[in-house]
Amino acid sequence: MGAETDLWVPVVDCMGQYTHLIKRRLQRLGVTTGVIPVTTPFGEIREADGLVLSGGAPRIGFEAEKLDNLKDYLDHFQKPVLAICVSHQYLAIHYGGTAGVATRPEYGPTMVEIVGDDPLLEGIPNHITVWSSHNDEIKILPPCFKTLARSTNCAHQIIKHCSLPYYGVQFHPEVSHTEHGLTLLSNFVRICSGYSQGRHTQSCSDPV
Amino acid sequence: MYDSFIKEKIEEIRRVVGQRKAMVATSGGVDSSTVAVLAYRALGDRLHCIFVDHGLSRLGEPEKVAWIYDMLGIPLKIVDAKEMFMEALKGIKDPEQKRKRIGECFIRLFEREAERVGVEVLIQGTIAPDWVESGVGREKIKSHHNVGGLPERIKLQILEPLRELYKDEVRELAKELGIPPEIVERQPFPGPGMAVRIVGEVTPERLETVKKANLIVEEEIENAVETGSLSHKPWQYFAALIPLRTVGVKGDTRAYQDAIVIRAVESEDGMTADVSKLPWPLLSRITSRIFSEIPTVSRVFYDTTTKAPGTIELE
Repeated sequence: MGAETDLWVPVVDCMGQYTHLIKRRLQRLGVTTGVIPVTTPFGEIREADGLVLSGGAPRIGFEAEKLDNLKDYLDHFQKPVLAICVSHQYLAIHYGGTAGVATRPEYGPTMVEIVGDDPLLEGIPNHITVWSSHNDEIKILPPCFKTLARSTNCAHQIIKHCSLPYYGVQFHPEVSHTEHGLTLLSNFVRICSGYSQGRHTQSCSDPV
Repeated sequence: MYDSFIKEKIEEIRRVVGQRKAMVATSGGVDSSTVAVLAYRALGDRLHCIFVDHGLSRLGEPEKVAWIYDMLGIPLKIVDAKEMFMEALKGIKDPEQKRKRIGECFIRLFEREAERVGVEVLIQGTIAPDWVESGVGREKIKSHHNVGGLPERIKLQILEPLRELYKDEVRELAKELGIPPEIVERQPFPGPGMAVRIVGEVTPERLETVKKANLIVEEEIENAVETGSLSHKPWQYFAALIPLRTVGVKGDTRAYQDAIVIRAVESEDGMTADVSKLPWPLLSRITSRIFSEIPTVSRVFYDTTTKAPGTIELE
Protein backbone atom coordinates (compact mmCIF):
# COMPACT_ATOMS: atom_id res chain seq x y z
CA MET A 1 0.00 0.00 0.00
CA GLY A 2 2.34 2.78 1.15
CA ALA A 3 2.01 4.94 -1.93
CA GLU A 4 -1.79 5.15 -1.50
CA THR A 5 -1.39 7.63 1.33
CA ASP A 6 -0.14 10.21 -1.15
CA LEU A 7 -3.05 9.70 -3.51
CA TRP A 8 -5.86 12.20 -3.79
CA VAL A 9 -9.09 10.57 -4.98
CA PRO A 10 -12.12 12.81 -4.37
CA VAL A 11 -15.70 11.55 -4.59
CA VAL A 12 -17.90 13.60 -6.91
CA ASP A 13 -21.36 13.80 -5.36
CA CYS A 14 -24.02 13.16 -7.98
CA MET A 15 -26.63 13.31 -5.20
CA GLY A 16 -26.58 9.61 -4.30
CA GLN A 17 -27.56 7.84 -1.11
CA TYR A 18 -24.15 6.19 -0.84
CA THR A 19 -21.82 9.09 -1.73
CA HIS A 20 -20.62 9.53 1.84
CA LEU A 21 -20.16 5.75 2.13
CA ILE A 22 -17.77 5.81 -0.87
CA LYS A 23 -15.70 8.38 0.99
CA ARG A 24 -15.64 6.11 4.04
CA ARG A 25 -14.40 3.15 1.98
CA LEU A 26 -11.70 5.21 0.27
CA GLN A 27 -10.53 6.54 3.63
CA ARG A 28 -10.24 2.98 4.84
CA LEU A 29 -8.10 2.23 1.77
CA GLY A 30 -5.75 4.96 2.90
CA VAL A 31 -6.22 7.56 0.19
CA THR A 32 -6.84 11.24 0.74
CA THR A 33 -10.44 11.88 -0.23
CA GLY A 34 -13.49 14.03 0.38
CA VAL A 35 -16.90 14.64 -1.08
CA ILE A 36 -17.16 17.42 -3.66
CA PRO A 37 -20.33 18.63 -5.36
CA VAL A 38 -20.83 17.77 -9.03
CA THR A 39 -20.83 21.51 -9.69
CA THR A 40 -17.13 21.79 -8.74
CA PRO A 41 -15.16 23.44 -11.60
CA PHE A 42 -12.74 21.03 -13.26
CA GLY A 43 -9.81 23.29 -12.40
CA GLU A 44 -10.21 22.42 -8.72
CA ILE A 45 -9.80 18.68 -9.27
CA ARG A 46 -7.36 18.69 -12.18
CA GLU A 47 -4.55 17.54 -9.90
CA ALA A 48 -6.45 14.55 -8.43
CA ASP A 49 -4.99 11.07 -8.96
CA GLY A 50 -8.36 9.54 -9.64
CA LEU A 51 -12.07 10.36 -9.42
CA VAL A 52 -15.00 8.36 -8.15
CA LEU A 53 -18.31 9.60 -9.53
CA SER A 54 -21.18 8.63 -7.23
CA GLY A 55 -24.62 7.36 -8.10
CA GLY A 56 -27.60 9.63 -7.70
CA ALA A 57 -31.29 10.28 -8.09
CA PRO A 58 -31.24 12.11 -11.46
CA ARG A 59 -32.97 10.05 -14.15
CA ILE A 60 -30.64 9.58 -17.07
CA GLY A 61 -33.41 9.81 -19.69
CA PHE A 62 -34.60 13.31 -18.84
CA GLU A 63 -32.40 14.81 -16.11
CA ALA A 64 -28.91 14.04 -17.41
CA GLU A 65 -28.24 17.79 -17.63
CA LYS A 66 -28.03 17.88 -13.82
CA LEU A 67 -24.78 15.99 -14.24
CA ASP A 68 -23.46 17.95 -17.21
CA ASN A 69 -20.42 19.16 -15.34
CA LEU A 70 -19.15 15.59 -15.67
CA LYS A 71 -18.56 16.33 -19.37
CA ASP A 72 -15.71 18.59 -18.47
CA TYR A 73 -14.18 16.01 -16.14
CA LEU A 74 -14.45 13.20 -18.68
CA ASP A 75 -13.11 15.31 -21.57
CA HIS A 76 -10.06 16.55 -19.70
CA PHE A 77 -9.17 14.33 -16.77
CA GLN A 78 -7.55 11.39 -18.61
CA LYS A 79 -6.60 9.75 -15.30
CA PRO A 80 -8.55 6.86 -13.65
CA VAL A 81 -12.29 7.43 -13.21
CA LEU A 82 -14.75 5.07 -11.54
CA ALA A 83 -18.32 6.01 -12.41
CA ILE A 84 -21.03 4.36 -10.30
CA CYS A 85 -24.72 3.80 -11.17
CA VAL A 86 -26.15 6.96 -12.78
CA SER A 87 -22.60 8.18 -13.50
CA HIS A 88 -21.91 4.84 -15.19
CA GLN A 89 -24.90 5.51 -17.44
CA TYR A 90 -23.71 9.07 -18.01
CA LEU A 91 -20.30 7.77 -19.02
CA ALA A 92 -21.86 5.64 -21.77
CA ILE A 93 -24.02 8.53 -23.03
CA HIS A 94 -21.08 10.91 -23.06
CA TYR A 95 -19.21 8.67 -25.48
CA GLY A 96 -22.15 8.19 -27.83
CA GLY A 97 -24.04 5.34 -26.22
CA THR A 98 -27.62 5.43 -24.99
CA ALA A 99 -29.27 4.87 -21.61
CA GLY A 100 -32.85 4.90 -20.41
CA VAL A 101 -35.48 3.22 -18.28
CA ALA A 102 -34.41 -0.33 -17.43
CA THR A 103 -36.54 -3.09 -18.90
CA ARG A 104 -36.08 -4.93 -15.61
CA PRO A 105 -34.71 -2.64 -12.91
CA GLU A 106 -32.65 -4.28 -10.19
CA TYR A 107 -32.81 -3.61 -6.44
CA GLY A 108 -30.97 -5.43 -3.69
CA PRO A 109 -29.15 -8.73 -4.30
CA THR A 110 -28.09 -9.23 -7.92
CA MET A 111 -25.99 -12.05 -9.40
CA VAL A 112 -23.24 -10.65 -11.56
CA GLU A 113 -21.05 -12.59 -13.97
CA ILE A 114 -17.59 -11.30 -14.78
CA VAL A 115 -16.94 -11.65 -18.52
CA GLY A 116 -13.75 -9.66 -18.99
CA ASP A 117 -10.24 -9.53 -17.67
CA ASP A 118 -8.96 -6.31 -16.17
CA PRO A 119 -6.82 -5.09 -13.26
CA LEU A 120 -10.06 -3.70 -11.75
CA LEU A 121 -11.30 -7.26 -11.30
CA GLU A 122 -8.23 -8.83 -9.79
CA GLY A 123 -9.07 -11.26 -6.99
CA ILE A 124 -12.79 -11.17 -7.75
CA PRO A 125 -14.49 -14.51 -8.54
CA ASN A 126 -16.43 -14.91 -11.79
CA HIS A 127 -19.81 -14.98 -10.06
CA ILE A 128 -20.60 -12.57 -7.26
CA THR A 129 -23.71 -11.30 -5.52
CA VAL A 130 -23.78 -7.55 -5.50
CA TRP A 131 -26.26 -4.93 -4.28
CA SER A 132 -28.09 -2.85 -6.91
CA SER A 133 -30.53 0.02 -6.85
CA HIS A 134 -31.22 1.35 -10.32
CA ASN A 135 -34.27 2.35 -12.34
CA ASP A 136 -32.28 3.06 -15.53
CA GLU A 137 -29.59 1.25 -17.47
CA ILE A 138 -27.20 1.50 -20.41
CA LYS A 139 -29.03 0.50 -23.57
CA ILE A 140 -26.32 0.79 -26.21
CA LEU A 141 -22.66 0.73 -25.26
CA PRO A 142 -20.50 3.12 -27.29
CA PRO A 143 -17.96 1.39 -29.58
CA CYS A 144 -14.99 2.66 -27.59
CA PHE A 145 -16.14 0.68 -24.52
CA LYS A 146 -16.16 -2.98 -23.62
CA THR A 147 -18.27 -4.87 -21.10
CA LEU A 148 -16.48 -6.54 -18.20
CA ALA A 149 -19.49 -7.88 -16.30
CA ARG A 150 -23.22 -8.47 -16.79
CA SER A 151 -26.28 -9.79 -14.96
CA THR A 152 -29.44 -11.54 -16.19
CA ASN A 153 -31.35 -8.27 -16.30
CA CYS A 154 -28.57 -5.84 -17.13
CA ALA A 155 -26.15 -6.35 -20.03
CA HIS A 156 -23.58 -3.79 -18.88
CA GLN A 157 -22.81 -4.11 -15.17
CA ILE A 158 -19.15 -3.09 -15.49
CA ILE A 159 -17.70 -1.26 -18.49
CA LYS A 160 -14.27 0.05 -19.42
CA HIS A 161 -13.10 2.59 -21.99
CA CYS A 162 -10.76 0.99 -24.54
CA SER A 163 -7.95 3.51 -24.30
CA LEU A 164 -8.67 5.67 -21.26
CA PRO A 165 -8.69 4.41 -17.64
CA TYR A 166 -12.40 5.14 -17.36
CA TYR A 167 -14.60 2.53 -15.67
CA GLY A 168 -18.32 2.33 -15.10
CA VAL A 169 -20.11 0.11 -12.57
CA GLN A 170 -23.89 -0.23 -12.50
CA PHE A 171 -24.10 -1.85 -9.05
CA HIS A 172 -22.75 -0.40 -5.79
CA PRO A 173 -19.27 -1.63 -4.81
CA GLU A 174 -19.30 0.77 -1.84
CA VAL A 175 -22.10 -0.92 0.14
CA SER A 176 -21.27 -3.66 2.62
CA HIS A 177 -23.63 -6.20 1.05
CA THR A 178 -21.77 -6.23 -2.27
CA GLU A 179 -19.40 -9.19 -2.27
CA HIS A 180 -15.84 -8.13 -3.08
CA GLY A 181 -16.94 -4.51 -3.32
CA LEU A 182 -13.99 -3.38 -1.27
CA THR A 183 -11.66 -5.47 -3.49
CA LEU A 184 -12.98 -3.63 -6.54
CA LEU A 185 -12.44 -0.24 -4.90
CA SER A 186 -9.01 -1.29 -3.70
CA ASN A 187 -8.11 -2.38 -7.26
CA PHE A 188 -9.27 1.00 -8.51
CA VAL A 189 -7.05 2.73 -5.97
CA ARG A 190 -4.13 0.59 -7.16
CA ILE A 191 -4.90 1.61 -10.75
CA CYS A 192 -4.83 5.27 -9.62
CA SER A 193 -1.54 4.62 -7.88
CA GLY A 194 -0.08 3.03 -11.02
CA TYR A 195 -1.11 6.03 -13.08
CA SER A 196 0.32 8.51 -10.65
CA GLN A 197 3.61 6.66 -10.90
CA GLY A 198 3.43 6.79 -14.71
CA ARG A 199 2.76 3.11 -15.22
CA HIS A 200 -0.13 3.37 -17.63
CA THR A 201 -2.09 0.24 -18.40
CA GLN A 202 -3.42 -0.20 -21.92
CA SER A 203 -5.99 -2.83 -21.15
CA CYS A 204 -7.59 -2.99 -24.60
CA SER A 205 -4.58 -4.96 -25.79
CA ASP A 206 -5.25 -7.47 -23.00
CA PRO A 207 -6.93 -10.71 -24.05
CA VAL A 208 -10.58 -10.64 -23.08
CA MET B 1 -8.35 3.55 16.94
CA TYR B 2 -10.67 6.34 18.12
CA ASP B 3 -8.23 7.85 20.63
CA SER B 4 -7.65 11.02 18.70
CA PHE B 5 -11.30 11.22 17.64
CA ILE B 6 -12.38 11.13 21.29
CA LYS B 7 -9.86 13.79 22.25
CA GLU B 8 -10.81 15.98 19.33
CA LYS B 9 -14.56 15.73 19.99
CA ILE B 10 -14.24 16.42 23.71
CA GLU B 11 -12.19 19.51 22.87
CA GLU B 12 -14.73 20.55 20.24
CA ILE B 13 -17.62 20.21 22.72
CA ARG B 14 -15.71 22.28 25.30
CA ARG B 15 -14.81 24.91 22.73
CA VAL B 16 -18.34 25.28 21.34
CA VAL B 17 -20.16 25.17 24.67
CA GLY B 18 -17.64 27.36 26.47
CA GLN B 19 -18.92 28.30 29.91
CA ARG B 20 -22.53 27.61 28.95
CA LYS B 21 -24.70 24.58 29.67
CA ALA B 22 -25.59 21.90 27.12
CA MET B 23 -28.22 19.22 26.82
CA VAL B 24 -28.32 15.71 25.37
CA ALA B 25 -31.75 14.29 24.69
CA THR B 26 -31.17 10.56 24.70
CA SER B 27 -33.28 7.78 23.28
CA GLY B 28 -31.28 5.26 25.27
CA GLY B 29 -29.78 3.95 22.04
CA VAL B 30 -26.09 3.65 21.20
CA ASP B 31 -25.76 6.93 19.23
CA SER B 32 -27.22 9.31 21.78
CA SER B 33 -25.68 7.41 24.69
CA THR B 34 -22.23 7.64 23.10
CA VAL B 35 -22.74 11.36 22.62
CA ALA B 36 -23.91 11.66 26.22
CA VAL B 37 -20.73 9.97 27.47
CA LEU B 38 -18.54 12.25 25.33
CA ALA B 39 -20.44 15.34 26.44
CA TYR B 40 -20.39 14.30 30.08
CA ARG B 41 -16.63 13.84 29.92
CA ALA B 42 -16.30 17.25 28.31
CA LEU B 43 -18.72 19.19 30.48
CA GLY B 44 -19.39 17.28 33.68
CA ASP B 45 -22.37 18.72 35.53
CA ARG B 46 -22.83 21.45 32.92
CA LEU B 47 -24.48 18.69 30.88
CA HIS B 48 -28.22 18.22 31.29
CA CYS B 49 -29.38 14.86 30.04
CA ILE B 50 -33.02 14.03 29.38
CA PHE B 51 -35.10 11.14 28.08
CA VAL B 52 -38.41 12.07 26.54
CA ASP B 53 -40.97 9.37 27.25
CA HIS B 54 -43.20 9.82 24.22
CA GLY B 55 -45.06 6.61 24.89
CA LEU B 56 -43.99 5.31 21.49
CA SER B 57 -41.02 3.24 22.64
CA ARG B 58 -40.87 -0.44 23.45
CA LEU B 59 -42.58 -1.87 26.52
CA GLY B 60 -40.40 -1.24 29.57
CA GLU B 61 -38.11 1.16 27.69
CA PRO B 62 -38.20 4.16 30.08
CA GLU B 63 -37.17 1.88 32.98
CA LYS B 64 -34.44 0.33 30.83
CA VAL B 65 -33.06 3.73 29.86
CA ALA B 66 -33.04 4.84 33.51
CA TRP B 67 -31.06 1.68 34.35
CA ILE B 68 -28.60 2.34 31.47
CA TYR B 69 -27.87 5.90 32.62
CA ASP B 70 -27.47 4.69 36.16
CA MET B 71 -24.87 2.27 34.84
CA LEU B 72 -23.18 5.05 32.86
CA GLY B 73 -23.17 7.28 35.92
CA ILE B 74 -24.84 10.15 34.08
CA PRO B 75 -27.76 11.92 35.81
CA LEU B 76 -30.89 11.58 33.68
CA LYS B 77 -34.20 13.36 33.79
CA ILE B 78 -37.20 11.54 32.38
CA VAL B 79 -39.79 13.84 30.83
CA ASP B 80 -43.27 12.37 30.55
CA ALA B 81 -44.79 13.61 27.29
CA LYS B 82 -47.05 10.73 26.31
CA GLU B 83 -50.17 12.83 26.00
CA MET B 84 -48.47 15.55 23.97
CA PHE B 85 -47.26 13.07 21.33
CA MET B 86 -50.56 11.17 21.07
CA GLU B 87 -52.36 14.47 20.67
CA ALA B 88 -49.95 15.59 17.92
CA LEU B 89 -50.39 12.32 16.03
CA LYS B 90 -54.17 12.26 16.15
CA GLY B 91 -55.62 11.81 12.67
CA ILE B 92 -52.24 11.90 10.94
CA LYS B 93 -51.73 9.15 8.36
CA ASP B 94 -48.90 10.38 6.16
CA PRO B 95 -45.48 9.07 7.28
CA GLU B 96 -43.66 12.36 6.60
CA GLN B 97 -46.35 14.33 8.46
CA LYS B 98 -45.95 11.98 11.43
CA ARG B 99 -42.18 12.40 11.45
CA LYS B 100 -42.49 16.20 11.23
CA ARG B 101 -45.01 16.37 14.06
CA ILE B 102 -42.84 14.16 16.24
CA GLY B 103 -39.76 16.26 15.45
CA GLU B 104 -41.71 19.35 16.37
CA CYS B 105 -42.87 17.89 19.71
CA PHE B 106 -39.28 16.93 20.51
CA ILE B 107 -37.92 20.39 19.80
CA ARG B 108 -40.65 22.22 21.70
CA LEU B 109 -39.94 19.98 24.71
CA PHE B 110 -36.18 20.50 24.36
CA GLU B 111 -36.67 24.26 24.22
CA ARG B 112 -38.94 24.24 27.24
CA GLU B 113 -36.51 22.11 29.22
CA ALA B 114 -33.52 24.18 28.03
CA GLU B 115 -35.18 27.37 29.17
CA ARG B 116 -35.96 25.85 32.54
CA VAL B 117 -32.35 24.86 33.28
CA GLY B 118 -30.59 27.55 31.24
CA VAL B 119 -29.19 25.38 28.44
CA GLU B 120 -28.13 26.98 25.15
CA VAL B 121 -26.60 24.10 23.20
CA LEU B 122 -28.25 20.85 22.11
CA ILE B 123 -25.82 18.00 21.46
CA GLN B 124 -27.35 15.41 19.17
CA GLY B 125 -26.42 11.82 18.30
CA THR B 126 -27.04 12.36 14.58
CA ILE B 127 -25.05 9.91 12.43
CA ALA B 128 -24.39 9.82 8.68
CA PRO B 129 -27.44 7.82 7.50
CA ASP B 130 -29.73 10.27 9.38
CA TRP B 131 -28.75 13.29 7.30
CA VAL B 132 -28.12 11.33 4.10
CA GLU B 133 -31.64 9.89 4.13
CA SER B 134 -33.16 13.16 5.28
CA GLY B 135 -32.15 14.57 1.91
CA VAL B 136 -29.21 16.84 2.72
CA GLY B 137 -27.87 17.44 -0.82
CA ARG B 138 -29.84 14.53 -2.27
CA GLU B 139 -33.33 13.11 -2.57
CA LYS B 140 -35.20 12.74 0.71
CA ILE B 141 -36.04 9.15 1.62
CA LYS B 142 -37.47 9.98 5.05
CA SER B 143 -37.13 12.80 7.57
CA HIS B 144 -35.11 11.48 10.47
CA HIS B 145 -36.46 13.03 13.64
CA ASN B 146 -33.14 14.65 14.53
CA VAL B 147 -32.52 16.19 11.08
CA GLY B 148 -35.29 16.60 8.51
CA GLY B 149 -37.95 16.14 11.17
CA LEU B 150 -36.82 19.25 13.05
CA PRO B 151 -38.71 22.48 12.60
CA GLU B 152 -36.91 25.17 10.59
CA ARG B 153 -36.40 27.47 13.53
CA ILE B 154 -34.81 26.13 16.68
CA LYS B 155 -33.77 28.39 19.52
CA LEU B 156 -30.86 26.14 20.47
CA GLN B 157 -27.42 25.86 18.96
CA ILE B 158 -26.95 22.34 17.61
CA LEU B 159 -23.81 20.26 17.82
CA GLU B 160 -23.52 16.84 16.15
CA PRO B 161 -20.19 15.21 17.06
CA LEU B 162 -20.98 11.85 15.39
CA ARG B 163 -22.25 13.32 12.15
CA GLU B 164 -19.64 11.66 9.94
CA LEU B 165 -19.94 8.18 11.46
CA TYR B 166 -21.97 5.11 10.67
CA LYS B 167 -23.50 2.85 13.33
CA ASP B 168 -20.71 0.26 13.20
CA GLU B 169 -18.16 3.04 13.77
CA VAL B 170 -20.22 4.45 16.65
CA ARG B 171 -20.23 0.99 18.23
CA GLU B 172 -16.44 0.80 17.98
CA LEU B 173 -16.16 4.26 19.48
CA ALA B 174 -18.61 3.33 22.26
CA LYS B 175 -16.52 0.28 23.13
CA GLU B 176 -13.41 2.42 23.33
CA LEU B 177 -15.22 4.81 25.63
CA GLY B 178 -15.83 1.85 27.93
CA ILE B 179 -19.58 1.81 27.43
CA PRO B 180 -20.95 -1.60 28.56
CA PRO B 181 -21.80 -4.17 25.85
CA GLU B 182 -25.48 -4.17 26.89
CA ILE B 183 -25.64 -0.65 25.46
CA VAL B 184 -23.16 -1.00 22.60
CA GLU B 185 -25.03 -3.98 21.19
CA ARG B 186 -28.55 -2.59 21.52
CA GLN B 187 -30.36 -2.88 18.23
CA PRO B 188 -31.13 0.40 16.45
CA PHE B 189 -34.51 1.88 17.31
CA PRO B 190 -36.11 4.75 15.38
CA GLY B 191 -36.46 8.09 17.19
CA PRO B 192 -40.17 8.35 16.31
CA GLY B 193 -40.53 4.88 17.82
CA MET B 194 -43.56 2.75 17.16
CA ALA B 195 -45.17 5.66 15.30
CA VAL B 196 -43.24 4.54 12.21
CA ARG B 197 -43.98 0.89 12.95
CA ILE B 198 -47.68 1.56 12.59
CA VAL B 199 -48.49 2.20 8.97
CA GLY B 200 -51.08 4.96 8.83
CA GLU B 201 -52.72 6.56 11.85
CA VAL B 202 -51.38 5.85 15.34
CA THR B 203 -54.28 4.93 17.62
CA PRO B 204 -54.01 3.77 21.24
CA GLU B 205 -55.28 0.32 20.27
CA ARG B 206 -52.77 -0.12 17.42
CA LEU B 207 -49.99 1.15 19.63
CA GLU B 208 -50.79 -1.46 22.24
CA THR B 209 -50.96 -4.19 19.57
CA VAL B 210 -47.63 -3.33 17.95
CA LYS B 211 -45.84 -2.97 21.29
CA LYS B 212 -46.97 -6.42 22.36
CA ALA B 213 -46.07 -7.98 19.01
CA ASN B 214 -42.69 -6.27 19.06
CA LEU B 215 -41.96 -7.67 22.50
CA ILE B 216 -42.82 -11.19 21.32
CA VAL B 217 -40.46 -10.87 18.32
CA GLU B 218 -37.66 -9.59 20.56
CA GLU B 219 -38.17 -12.23 23.23
CA GLU B 220 -38.32 -15.13 20.82
CA ILE B 221 -35.31 -14.05 18.76
CA GLU B 222 -33.19 -13.30 21.81
CA ASN B 223 -34.23 -16.60 23.33
CA ALA B 224 -33.30 -18.43 20.11
CA VAL B 225 -29.85 -16.85 20.25
CA GLU B 226 -29.40 -17.83 23.90
CA THR B 227 -30.43 -21.43 23.28
CA GLY B 228 -28.30 -21.67 20.15
CA SER B 229 -31.06 -22.27 17.61
CA LEU B 230 -30.13 -18.95 15.99
CA SER B 231 -26.44 -18.19 15.42
CA HIS B 232 -26.53 -14.44 16.13
CA LYS B 233 -28.83 -11.53 16.84
CA PRO B 234 -29.94 -9.89 13.59
CA TRP B 235 -28.99 -6.23 13.08
CA GLN B 236 -32.59 -5.29 13.76
CA TYR B 237 -35.70 -7.34 14.55
CA PHE B 238 -39.16 -6.06 15.29
CA ALA B 239 -42.86 -6.14 14.54
CA ALA B 240 -44.82 -3.55 12.59
CA LEU B 241 -48.54 -3.13 12.14
CA ILE B 242 -50.24 -2.59 8.82
CA PRO B 243 -53.87 -1.50 9.00
CA LEU B 244 -54.78 -4.01 6.33
CA ARG B 245 -57.74 -5.94 7.55
CA THR B 246 -58.11 -9.52 6.43
CA VAL B 247 -60.66 -12.18 7.19
CA GLY B 248 -59.85 -14.93 9.62
CA VAL B 249 -61.63 -17.59 11.59
CA LYS B 250 -60.94 -17.87 15.30
CA GLY B 251 -62.78 -20.51 17.29
CA ASP B 252 -65.61 -20.78 14.77
CA THR B 253 -66.14 -17.05 14.67
CA ARG B 254 -65.22 -14.59 11.97
CA ALA B 255 -62.25 -12.28 12.54
CA TYR B 256 -61.57 -9.15 10.47
CA GLN B 257 -58.54 -7.41 11.90
CA ASP B 258 -55.18 -5.72 11.29
CA ALA B 259 -51.99 -7.48 10.18
CA ILE B 260 -48.60 -7.75 11.86
CA VAL B 261 -45.38 -7.81 9.88
CA ILE B 262 -42.33 -9.52 11.34
CA ARG B 263 -39.13 -7.88 10.15
CA ALA B 264 -35.56 -9.06 10.78
CA VAL B 265 -32.59 -7.80 8.79
CA GLU B 266 -28.83 -8.10 8.61
CA SER B 267 -26.75 -4.97 8.11
CA GLU B 268 -23.43 -3.41 9.00
CA ASP B 269 -24.22 0.27 8.73
CA GLY B 270 -27.95 0.49 8.06
CA MET B 271 -27.40 1.80 4.53
CA THR B 272 -28.23 -1.54 2.93
CA ALA B 273 -29.84 -4.59 4.49
CA ASP B 274 -30.47 -8.22 3.71
CA VAL B 275 -33.33 -10.25 5.10
CA SER B 276 -32.48 -12.52 8.04
CA LYS B 277 -33.01 -16.16 7.16
CA LEU B 278 -34.86 -16.93 10.39
CA PRO B 279 -35.47 -20.64 10.97
CA TRP B 280 -39.00 -21.72 10.19
CA PRO B 281 -39.77 -23.08 13.70
CA LEU B 282 -38.84 -19.69 15.14
CA LEU B 283 -41.11 -17.79 12.74
CA SER B 284 -43.82 -20.27 13.45
CA ARG B 285 -43.51 -19.84 17.22
CA ILE B 286 -43.57 -16.05 16.95
CA THR B 287 -46.68 -16.28 14.79
CA SER B 288 -48.63 -18.52 17.16
CA ARG B 289 -47.65 -16.42 20.16
CA ILE B 290 -48.92 -13.29 18.41
CA PHE B 291 -52.31 -14.92 17.82
CA SER B 292 -52.56 -16.35 21.33
CA GLU B 293 -51.49 -13.21 23.13
CA ILE B 294 -52.90 -10.42 20.95
CA PRO B 295 -56.58 -10.66 20.13
CA THR B 296 -56.53 -7.75 17.65
CA VAL B 297 -54.59 -9.42 14.82
CA SER B 298 -55.84 -11.72 12.09
CA ARG B 299 -52.76 -12.09 9.83
CA VAL B 300 -49.01 -12.29 10.34
CA PHE B 301 -46.50 -11.76 7.52
CA TYR B 302 -42.74 -12.10 7.28
CA ASP B 303 -41.20 -9.22 5.32
CA THR B 304 -38.70 -10.52 2.75
CA THR B 305 -37.79 -7.10 1.34
CA THR B 306 -34.11 -6.13 1.25
CA LYS B 307 -32.86 -2.51 1.50
CA ALA B 308 -32.85 -1.42 -1.32
CA PRO B 309 -35.62 -1.47 -2.48
CA GLY B 310 -37.25 -1.31 0.98
CA THR B 311 -36.03 0.66 3.97
CA ILE B 312 -35.55 -1.17 7.26
CA GLU B 313 -38.53 0.43 8.97
CA LEU B 314 -41.86 0.43 7.12
CA GLU B 315 -42.25 4.22 7.15
